[in-house]
Amino acid sequence: MEEFTNENIDLNKLPHYQEITLTAPHPNYWKVILINIFIFLFLTGAGLTLFLIFNDEVKPQRLFIIGAYLIIVILIFVLYRASFKKRGFALREKDIIYKSGIIAETTTIVPLNRIQHVALDEGIFSRIFKLGKLQIFTAGGQSGHLHIGGIEIEKARSIKEMLLRKLDQIETLAENQ
Amino acid sequence: MNYDFSKPQRQSGFGIILMAANTLQHLIRALIFPLIIAFAKLDKQYLAYIGLGLLGLLIILFVYSYFNYRNFTFFLDEQKQEFVINKGIFNKTQLTVQLDKIQQVNINQNLLQKIIGIYGLKVDTAGSEGQEVSIKAIDEEIANSLREHLLSRKSIANNETSTPKTASVQEDIPFLKVSLGTLFKVGLTSNYGSTIALLLAFIYPVFHNAKEFLKAFDMDKGQVENAVESLFTLFSIGILVAVFLFLILAINVIRTLVKYFDFHISKHKHSLLISHGFFAKKNTLLSPNKVQITSYSQNYFQKKMNLLNMNLKQASSGEAKKGKDLESNNLQIPGCNPTERDELIKMIMGEIPAQGKTFLPNWRFLNLPIFFRVVFPVGIFMILWAYIPALKPYYPAAIIYFLMAIPMIFISYKRHRLTVNKEFIVKRSGIWDVNHSLLFPHKIQAITTFQYPWHKGVDVGHVNLHTAAGVIHFKYGNYTEIKKLVNYWLYQIESGSEEWM
Repeated sequence: MEEFTNENIDLNKLPHYQEITLTAPHPNYWKVILINIFIFLFLTGAGLTLFLIFNDEVKPQRLFIIGAYLIIVILIFVLYRASFKKRGFALREKDIIYKSGIIAETTTIVPLNRIQHVALDEGIFSRIFKLGKLQIFTAGGQSGHLHIGGIEIEKARSIKEMLLRKLDQIETLAENQ
Repeated sequence: MNYDFSKPQRQSGFGIILMAANTLQHLIRALIFPLIIAFAKLDKQYLAYIGLGLLGLLIILFVYSYFNYRNFTFFLDEQKQEFVINKGIFNKTQLTVQLDKIQQVNINQNLLQKIIGIYGLKVDTAGSEGQEVSIKAIDEEIANSLREHLLSRKSIANNETSTPKTASVQEDIPFLKVSLGTLFKVGLTSNYGSTIALLLAFIYPVFHNAKEFLKAFDMDKGQVENAVESLFTLFSIGILVAVFLFLILAINVIRTLVKYFDFHISKHKHSLLISHGFFAKKNTLLSPNKVQITSYSQNYFQKKMNLLNMNLKQASSGEAKKGKDLESNNLQIPGCNPTERDELIKMIMGEIPAQGKTFLPNWRFLNLPIFFRVVFPVGIFMILWAYIPALKPYYPAAIIYFLMAIPMIFISYKRHRLTVNKEFIVKRSGIWDVNHSLLFPHKIQAITTFQYPWHKGVDVGHVNLHTAAGVIHFKYGNYTEIKKLVNYWLYQIESGSEEWM
């Protein structure tokens, strides 16, 4: 058995998760997001156009509808841009931190010894820019998972390898106890 | 008696009957209306063919069940510490369960199994695959012995860590029993929601099927609707509501009595043995360290009767488990008194949470609910009220809604609090049912904190604690304090070596 200590903990001396400097997603990731938004807008826009052409009843209101659509488009861009600026992740010795959020600022922290498995996801557009999405799964269900997009693929791979090594370490440690 | 589980074994031979009966039940359920319609509509000369067809189906069913039985084997791999099930006729499947991933082993008996005299055994795992590991037909002694073997690895592990004090406790003496009277009280005071859902789920198909049935006989001239309408005119709405309420209460009481009949918990080595049920007997062996969240709730009536409902939540494997399976992850203990509750908490968590630091939400907690639940709907009603004459007589409903919703939101704000000390986290919430959730920090899987931009100035934020049995929310707290707490919990999770299951 290890030597047992039970010192008083000074809460203010614990490491602060909120003061860590975060790694922002790669600038190219914004392009990937833009492509995805454009595809979405193109499809909805095409649908709307067809609707306006073939539906005589709404024709008088079409200026209003187009205006509303444009406002939504601008809103989507502004919100996504703002959320892109907020994003960032950090890897600490014992946990991984991810900050995101469209309106609210959300920080999720997953301790490394609670990770169930790790996956690396490369979308078509992400692959063009050599980016990847790191997915970290916990037993905490859907809301407890982490999906960190926009990491350079090489870096993402090395992080994944590192996490898997850590997982192995933790597991053997637990078994040797 | 000892059984050797290291060699592949089959189920009890009665399993053939059981499997055939199960499939038959599904078939009948799916075919009953088409069959009745066929009988009613077809010429009498075809009846013989239908009968023959059904007989053929029955024979195929038995042959199929027989091969299913032949191909279903299970064994225990002592070396690899795995439980292996092989099954399938055309698609062969092998299910492998690592023994240390087993959460609980249930031995159940439904009505048919009771008649034949066999039991069903089900293994609950924490894996995310959501595969069902169950043996449908097994003798009682073999089932008990198998359960011991399946859970044996853990009791060895537990022996090393737990104090020897518990070993001297006599086995299988129930320390918690729920009497019929208590169950009656519980039935009167809780679980209305699920009973209403059940009632609606029952009424709708009856209504729907009755219509189909009449349609088949070319008799549908709106009788069903007429019957419902005349029912409404016969009784005034008030009486109907009273009848409905009475029905809910009656069904609730009966449901509780049937489900939790003869409920008792006993200590069984290092696990808890929970058994209950009138028609279908349910035995669950549960090891305390697999419980993720221990919660208890009490409403106003129950408080007067000194009664509590407890809920032991275990790890659920995400979306794979729903409805019935989710229930098996949440072990309900209906009706215990505060002393029994404390004893159970002591069994599961080691000790009763001592006083800790209490965190209260900011008054801004009230803003969003008041806007979305009160101002917004009432506002829409008022706009409609101004334009639609038919709505004029209904304005008292809006006033009543307004007067009821505001205090309810205020109560939920007053009840919302988080208590933290060195070992525990206790979250209190609720409007009618006041719910306390207790958990250890080391059961946390991930932590999320978030803040709306407009709350930055006033230092208000939220925290979600993700556990394997659900999320614990604490809303509108002091964000600086929340951050401090999160740092402390992270320190506890990351420096400790306690396993979360």
